[in-house]
Amino acid sequence: MIRFVARRFATIPLVVLGVVTILFIIFKSVPGDEAAFVAGATATQAEIEAVRVQLGLDQPLIEQYVRHVSGLLVGDFGYSTTFRGNPLPHIINRLPATLALAAAAIGLTIVVGIPAGVVAAAYRNRLPDYLISLSVVGLLAIPNFWLGMLLIAWLSVDLGLLPSFGSSGPVSLVIPTLALAARLIALVARMTRGVVIEELRKDYVRTARAKGLSKGLALRRHVLRNVMIPTVTVIGLQAGYLLGGSVVVERLCAWPGIGDLLLTAVSVRDYTLVQAIVLIFVVSFLTINIAVEVIYRFVNPRLRYA
Amino acid sequence: MRRREFLMGAAGAALLSTLPAGAIRAFAQNAAGVITFGQSTSVLTLDPAHGAFTGYPGGYEAALLLFDRLLDFDADMKIVPQLAESFTMSADLKSCELKLRSGVTFHDGTPCDAAAIKFNIERMMNKEINTTNRPLWDPIVGADIVDDKTLVIRTSAPFAQLPNTLAHGSGAIVSPAAIEKFGEDGFAQNPVGAGPYMMESFNAGQELKLKAFDAYWGEKPGASGVVFRFIAEPATRINALTTGAVDVIDSVPVQLVSQLEGNADIEVVRRPGLRPIGLALNLTHPALSDVKVRKALNLAVPVATIAEKVFFGFAKAPDSPLAFDAIGHKSVGETVFDQEQAKALLAEAGYNPGSDGVLEKDGAKLTLKLYAPEGLFPGDVAVAEIVAASLKQVGVDAQITKIEKGAYWDHLRQDKANLAWDLAMFGFNPSNASGTYHLASLFKSNADDNAKPDVWNVGRYHNAEVDELLVAADSAPEESARLEALGKAQELIWADAPYLWLQINENVSAVRKPVTGVSVMPIVFTNLRNAAKA
Repeated sequence: MIRFVARRFATIPLVVLGVVTILFIIFKSVPGDEAAFVAGATATQAEIEAVRVQLGLDQPLIEQYVRHVSGLLVGDFGYSTTFRGNPLPHIINRLPATLALAAAAIGLTIVVGIPAGVVAAAYRNRLPDYLISLSVVGLLAIPNFWLGMLLIAWLSVDLGLLPSFGSSGPVSLVIPTLALAARLIALVARMTRGVVIEELRKDYVRTARAKGLSKGLALRRHVLRNVMIPTVTVIGLQAGYLLGGSVVVERLCAWPGIGDLLLTAVSVRDYTLVQAIVLIFVVSFLTINIAVEVIYRFVNPRLRYA
Repeated sequence: MRRREFLMGAAGAALLSTLPAGAIRAFAQNAAGVITFGQSTSVLTLDPAHGAFTGYPGGYEAALLLFDRLLDFDADMKIVPQLAESFTMSADLKSCELKLRSGVTFHDGTPCDAAAIKFNIERMMNKEINTTNRPLWDPIVGADIVDDKTLVIRTSAPFAQLPNTLAHGSGAIVSPAAIEKFGEDGFAQNPVGAGPYMMESFNAGQELKLKAFDAYWGEKPGASGVVFRFIAEPATRINALTTGAVDVIDSVPVQLVSQLEGNADIEVVRRPGLRPIGLALNLTHPALSDVKVRKALNLAVPVATIAEKVFFGFAKAPDSPLAFDAIGHKSVGETVFDQEQAKALLAEAGYNPGSDGVLEKDGAKLTLKLYAPEGLFPGDVAVAEIVAASLKQVGVDAQITKIEKGAYWDHLRQDKANLAWDLAMFGFNPSNASGTYHLASLFKSNADDNAKPDVWNVGRYHNAEVDELLVAADSAPEESARLEALGKAQELIWADAPYLWLQINENVSAVRKPVTGVSVMPIVFTNLRNAAKA
């Protein structure tokens, strides 16, 4: 197991190097002159050239690339015009907020989505199933920013229960978490329902029931374990969506995470900062994928011997 | 029984998410005496040099409280004393003598004396340190200390706008000791000035906390502290104001103002801006080089209706190339909507309808490429669409290209060979409020029209008479003569119609009781310098 995890993580540097290279090429081919932007709207050509030299943008691309990669190795993400230096400390400063939001959203999904799916399956074609399935369709259809706005208007403005923006204590997490998790909860509930219904038809369930287990006990003892495999897959895959969705939700709720910082970076055209944040998003995504593979082996012992 | 457990579990889990809510009403209410400002743009850097205060205008709004300047603008953009008790321009307009206030200290306790001011002027003159706002600082060649209360600033040529430069946001006086301490790169995150508020904590891009500076030379600040909080989303800003989590918000979208107007606790503060929006015309385009065509384009678009309907009356049609509150503005014309006259002018210019209704001349269709950014100017894309539809009605085929706002300036300021647009939306905000600066930036002939424009004369406008008037507006010894030259220049430019003039938007902010004294300056800034909270 440890060897497997180590092996999986050993692939990360190679993939990251590929990602860094692709990002570098993308950012170098973005239209517009980085030096001209840094120098400001009214800069003369001579001033722009001076900035170009200062930022090392006059060097051949290959040299810029080598400098970029060797900088990353020691944690130097380059010169961010926004922060007048290495943006890494500022990104790290913002990272906990984004991680807290993502963790809360995944936690809520597990706590709400899976039980909802199981309940819907257990009461298939009866009232609880109809209610849950209808909510699922609704939650899938509502865009997260709109749901967030509704929640702010209702929970914060009308009822005065929650802060309307920002992060002032754990209660601030509620609205962004709900807005971010809604779609994921719906997806997981819908999928869990389908898988449970399928599993309930299988022989081992009939055997368990024949042994005298109640339906509920058969569900919990036998079915749930088998349901976990596809559920972990979906949650893992959707973690990428959470990162993307967090950009929107963070901005809406003025949540001080890196998604919000990314939008700021784009609006002031801080290439270095955008590049650094995108890289961190990509690395997070890779890490989550590997984590999912590891969790797989826990929930599905068959894979351990494959 | 077991099923019920399942249901209970699911319901319990759903409840759990709302549990911590409790009944804590009015949570984010602020500490007494602290004003919280929900800003639409974040404060990133706080240094007048090195790219100036960013993001715009959020950084400048914070700088207004942190830093004092030699001179200041009052609410009507008149220049008034601040760190200088008085100023006198020399007769040749090539120097300015300033009498300095004594006993002023920076937040770090060091004196804000003649030497510190000289340090600041020289720092802003240095092109490597101060990379932006160059047109404001380039004319300055030196500062001389006459005695410890008197300083003379010299310029290379007559420069009547020198007081405007000193009153401009980039004229903020910083503590030389703090520059020494934090370095040129570190100061922007550790600003030290001589303004009424000093920095308490700064989390760039999120939150800036200021507290009242007890040793401030002037009137005591009206609040014990001011917090600048970045809230990008307009609806979230409005909600934050409604719930009382913030006291002031800026950039209220005009379509959302009605939400606030019924609320007795909230006052909407509005002021026309200094930035007239229009479509720059590419005068190197054969059709647009003809003034008749340019005038026809101006006649074809219902500008007043756009101001009324798109902006709910929070905008006005312009009456000059300058905005109403720009210094030296003169009403030189009016926008007229008359499509029949537009058609007649186009016919005079030799354009006749082709088979598809689009005008043609010598087989060439009057097809114009209209560039509009998304989200850079108020209602930019919507306005561009109305303009295109209106132009279509007189037979001009304007094709809209939407440009991502981060890349827009590059498209706009191109050398001639790469100029891809015929009409491009643009608005210039003269941050020193000077009409002369505004017109010179947009309409002074470029040194070389094939290269990139010197400043913002992106359409390659040429009028030798305007060039001369702009020199006079900057260097005539008498103020009345300068204003007259500026007025005449506005008339000539208006008659030449190098733009399709659109609208001047109002800046709209909102303030919650009991905060008072918040003003919206014509240069976009929501100013909390004189704000008070009991």
